[in-house]
Amino acid sequence: MVVVNLFAGMAESAGTRRLDLEWAGGSVAELRRRIRDRIPAVAELLARSAVAVGNSYAADADHVPGDADVAIIPPVSGG
Amino acid sequence: MDAPRKGGVSLVHGAIDQAALLASVADPDAGATVLFLGTTRRHTGDAVTERLEYESHEPMAVRELARLRDAAVGRFSLAGCGIVHRLGMVGVGEASVAVATAAAHRREAFAAAEWVMEEIKRSVPIWKCDESAAGERRWVHPETVFDGGASS
Repeated sequence: MVVVNLFAGMAESAGTRRLDLEWAGGSVAELRRRIRDRIPAVAELLARSAVAVGNSYAADADHVPGDADVAIIPPVSGG
Repeated sequence: MDAPRKGGVSLVHGAIDQAALLASVADPDAGATVLFLGTTRRHTGDAVTERLEYESHEPMAVRELARLRDAAVGRFSLAGCGIVHRLGMVGVGEASVAVATAAAHRREAFAAAEWVMEEIKRSVPIWKCDESAAGERRWVHPETVFDGGASS
């Protein structure tokens, strides 16, 4: 199972701060599709968001292990 | 020169201690010290902000801030660099972020502070929610495709 942490407007759109997905491992792009299928309301913001695996930014082609700790990072606005 | 030099990074949930931040970057070889404060602004166009709420993916934000700090030290030959970002509610006029840079000369200290702020706004997982005087809340997500700063 993969744990997906959601923040800010992403958590607001999803109505939750954490998603648990059955996940045997796969690419970041595949994980994006799974999240989108599960919560269509986040599709627009998800498309503009980065994905972090184990606290590091990951590219769409990168592998996400089955037990990964994932975060969706929508466009940032600190400062 | 390689990091670490003076100063560090932190996330805080109350007022930023500016004096402590400045003290943390003090160095006998610094001829210039810059303190930048980002503060909650009342007006953005016609919109009136009452306060901002900041949220973060904390372990990742600390890691990204440390990476930026170390990069700034090397890039601008700093004697010291410290970054503090506040989380939670930040009222109008209060500081949400502070960056202190110390260098032999002012040019590097000013440039480094500006560079650090640009990078914070580009890649550190911190978000603000704008709360208006009318009580409306809106998370701020700039209209860009965000790649986590991978283009750097």
